[in-house]
This record gives sequence, structure tokens and C-alpha cells, in this order.
Amino acid sequence: MPESNKNHYCLDKLIEFVGNDPEAIKSMVNLFLNTTPDLLQTINTSFHDGIAENLAKAAHTLKPTLDVFGVENTYDLIRIIEQKAKRSELDLALGKHINQLNTTMELVFKELKLAYPIV
Amino acid sequence: MDAFRIFIVEDDVFYGEMLRHHLTLNPDNEVHLFKTGEECLKNLYRSPAMISLDYSLPDMSGLDVMRQIKKEHPEIPVIIVSGQEDISTAVTLLREGAYDYFVKDDDVKDRLWNVLKKIRENIQLRSEISYLKEEIGRKYEFRNVIKGNSPSIKQIFGLIEKSIKTNISVSITGETGTGKELVAKAIHYNSKRAKKPFVAINVSAIPRDLIESEMFGHEKGAFTGAITRKIGKFEQASGGTIFLDEIAEMDLNMQAKLLRVIQERELTRVGGNELIKIDVRLIVATNRNLADEVQKGNFREDLYYRLLGLPIELPPLRYRGNDIILLAKYFVDEFCKENKMKKLSITESAQQKLMGYHFPGNVRELRAIIELAAVLTDHDQIDESHISFNSADAAGNLLMEESSLAEYTRKIIRYYLQKYNNNVLLVAKKLEIGKSTIYRMIKEKQI
Ligand SMILES: Nc1ncnc2c1ncn2[C@@H]1O[C@H](COP(=O)(O)OP(=O)(O)OP(=O)(O)O)[C@@H](O)[C@H]1O
Ligand SMILES: [Mg+2]
Repeated sequence: MPESNKNHYCLDKLIEFVGNDPEAIKSMVNLFLNTTPDLLQTINTSFHDGIAENLAKAAHTLKPTLDVFGVENTYDLIRIIEQKAKRSELDLALGKHINQLNTTMELVFKELKLAYPIV
Repeated sequence: MDAFRIFIVEDDVFYGEMLRHHLTLNPDNEVHLFKTGEECLKNLYRSPAMISLDYSLPDMSGLDVMRQIKKEHPEIPVIIVSGQEDISTAVTLLREGAYDYFVKDDDVKDRLWNVLKKIRENIQLRSEISYLKEEIGRKYEFRNVIKGNSPSIKQIFGLIEKSIKTNISVSITGETGTGKELVAKAIHYNSKRAKKPFVAINVSAIPRDLIESEMFGHEKGAFTGAITRKIGKFEQASGGTIFLDEIAEMDLNMQAKLLRVIQERELTRVGGNELIKIDVRLIVATNRNLADEVQKGNFREDLYYRLLGLPIELPPLRYRGNDIILLAKYFVDEFCKENKMKKLSITESAQQKLMGYHFPGNVRELRAIIELAAVLTDHDQIDESHISFNSADAAGNLLMEESSLAEYTRKIIRYYLQKYNNNVLLVAKKLEIGKSTIYRMIKEKQI
């Protein structure tokens, strides 16, 4: 299957927030690229180490960011992850959800870096 | 409207930045971002108009931060923005005084704008109300400073009242010591210009060849001795009031220059050519009859009409009837208070003696006489033996430490600065004066 050339994020909501100001958007994208990988990392290691509380916290923080960046198919996903972690259900299903999140985020990071290269 | 200062307290850098960007879309908003509750609390003195508070902060809970804010500044609206979706938290927060509660994935943006709009409207309303209160307060304030109950002084009150409402020039005449300067200050400090400077120039006290530079300033090198640029009194008084005392003593040459400045509302510093716009209110005073001076050719007629504005003619004290006693009692009380003495009364015979005197030095003289009497008496009353008119002048020099309104203001500011560890912003807020006024006074070493 050929890779779709449609991005896995949508900045409409971000633009609604910060206005259609290229500078502002760029700085928010940079911030996104600087902060979300760490959160994702925390989610993964916490799952691996079985520390539900940290997992829940990181998911909680990541949630609004994903919403604002309109990251495809993560709206429900991140909420499920947070809820399961809160209930300490660190099971196989959660592992799959996290993997799905990882895959999407990898794509989004790549796409954003391409669209907003650091000069 | 002043900048609308908003605090965002948010440890999620991304979300905090986004809110900041969002809120600064309105250029009236001045947004400060803090990452911890403590940072926010430390900056409360800047009196934000609104605080958006994240519920889960690294150092303390949103609830604790809010409680602290409410304790110190119950009037600041606090909005809790949280990732928490549970209702009981929301209810607790609202019950504890949160203005509103948003969940981060609600439509935070629109709700935020709506809340901001509401807060703005409230502030507008509040400032209108406090302005009205201030107006009412002002109206009666000068009566606490200028004492008197006689019909002639009441008529003066009416004129002061009129002059307070507008920017009209005021010309005050009256014998020495009748209170001309007091009236000039009362007008300024009760007018809309009250928070801007009141700058007095005593024309007779300044050598002729220096008066122009004193009034309008000079550029560096304008004349021998002008080693730096100097800002004149008219510029210093910007937005405020200039009080030209003893205006009749101004020479004709200077009168012409003053007239031009008044007409054009702009001046050039001596030795300069830049035109500088000025916005000052003029109050002039003299104990001569200016109309006579015009007749004699000592005062320009055109300037006379320019300056006349609202004329206020202060009656000599001897025509103010019982005000003599009223003022005498007032001065005794003040004197006793200042010197931590117990109260003194004035006997009937002493009062009669005062009423029979003509007071060439008017209120100033009365004050000196009374203060001397208060020193002379060994009892708890002043009788006629303590009232001495001859030595009044000597006593005057000895006892009269005139403290002007400006001096009084300085004392208050000094006191507050000490009390609040030289926190200018806080003091400015407490005293409801501009911080620039305080900075200026510090710079000019008045404080
Ligand atoms: N009605 C008043 N109530 C209280 N104090 C007064 C009153 N009138 C004058 N004084 C006081 O009397 C003193 C003299 O007043 P002021 O300096 O205003 O007089 P003046 O008319 O400017 O005098 P001069 O012509 O000598 O400059 C001041 O200490 C002032 O506070
Ligand atoms: Mg005077």
C-alpha cells in the first residue's frame, strides 16, 4: 500500500488558539517537538517498569497537547491509556494502545520536522 | 484602559505557552506565565486582573494556591484549568471561591474569552463606581484643609468647586497670609490633575535673568553656566498644575514670552529650537491689584486677560468674623497634637482680644500668635495675657515651619516606602498614586 501523503496531524485547533501567526505557530511546534518525546518516553518506561501512577500522569499531560495538535486517531486512544493506567490495568491491551500511540507519534514527529525545519 | 494583566500558572510548558499565545492575541492583555504556585504567589503584588491556575502543580495543589491567593487578594478572579474531569473536585474549587472551572479538553478557548470579557466588564464597572466615590470624596476634601465658616469663605469654596471641575486658569488675589497658596494647592489636589505634579514658581524669588530658564528650561551651553540641559518647571509640571506666585513681579519682557507659551501651548528651552508641547494648568497669585498694574503699564493687558480666568479674591481675615476663633481653635488643636500636649482651650477674653485685632498678616499671623500663646501658657487654657500681637513677627519666624502639601505628600511616601521595604509598586498602589511620581521624587532626591 502506498503511503498516504496526508499528514497525521492538523493544526486548525492550534491556529485557533495562537492565531494565524507563523512565528507563534513555529514556536509552538518547536515546543511540541521538545516536550512530547519525553512524555512518550515516560509512558513507555513506566509501562515497562509497571509504574501505573507515572504512566497515568504522563498520559494526562499529553492529552491536551494531542488534542490541540489534532493528532489523528489519538483522541480516544490517549484517554483510554490514561484511564487504564489509573485503574492500574497494565495489561497486554494497554501495551498495544501504547504501541499504536508510538507509531502515530513517530510519524507526526517526522512530518512536523519536515514542515518546520529548524534553521 | 490599562493593560489587563493575566497570570497563567501552568507547569505543562506546552499548554502554558499555548494559553499565553492565545491570550496575547488581544494586545490589551499582559500575560505572565509561571510554572509553580510559589512563583505565582510571589508575584501577586503586581495585582493581576485574573489568574488562570492549573490544578495540579509540581510544588503545591491548585486548591492551596487558590486559598493563598484568596487570603491575600480576595478580589482577584481565579480560574482553575485542569485535566481533572471529576465533578467533586470542580465543586470543591467553586465552593472555595474559584471564578470558574475548565477542563483542558473542554472548549477552553471560548470559555476563557467569555470569562475574560465578563471580568473586564466587572472591572470597568468597579472603576466607574470608585471614580464616582472619589469624586464625592474630593468635593469635601478641601474643606478639611481650608478652614472657615463665614459667608465670605463659603463663597470661596463655591469658586474652588467650580475651578476643580475644569481646567480653567485661576487667578488668586488677597493680602499676604490669606491662604493663596493653600487655595492653589487645594484646587490642584482636588482636580483631575491631582496625581500629576503641582509645581510652584515664586516669580519674585528668582533673579530676572534666570526666570526664563527656570520656567522653560535650557539646552546645554545656552549661556555661561549652562553646563547641562535643564528641564524647566513647565515641563516638570506636565499634565499637572503650574502655580505662578507673585505674578505681578514678572517683568514685561518675560510677560511677553509667557503669553506666547500660553497661547501656543508649546515652548522652546532657552538656547534650543525644538518646540515642546505642554499640558499644564495655570494658577497665578498676587497680593497686588493686577488691574491697577495694567493701568500703570506694569502688566500687559493681553496677558492679564489670559491669566484672569476664574478670579478668586481671598478676603482678609479681619472680614471673616467668627472664622478668627474657628481658625484659632484649629491651630491650637493642631499645635497640641503635633507637640503631644494636652488640649488647650481659649478663654472668652482671649477670644475677644483676637476678634478686636486687624491681622495685617492674616491667617499666617493668627497661626503664629496662637502657637506662641500655646507655648507661653502654663495652664490648660490660653487667656488674653498670652495673646501678644507685637511679638507675633518674631514668633512667626521662630515657630512657623510651613509644611506644604507637597512636603506632606513626601512625608507620607517616605513613611510608606520604609514600611514596605522600598517596594515602589506596592506603595504606589496603596497610596493610589502613579509609580512614576514616586520614581520621579526619588530621582529628584525629594524623598
Ligand atoms: N482658611 C485656612 N485654613 C487653614 N489654614 C490656613 C487658611 N488660610 C491660610 N492658612 C494657613 O496660613 C498660612 C499662610 O497661607 P498661604 O501661604 O497660602 O498664604 P498666601 O496668601 O500665599 O501668603 P503670601 O501672600 O504671603 O504668599 C499657611 O500656613 C496656610 O496653611
Ligand atoms: Mg504665598
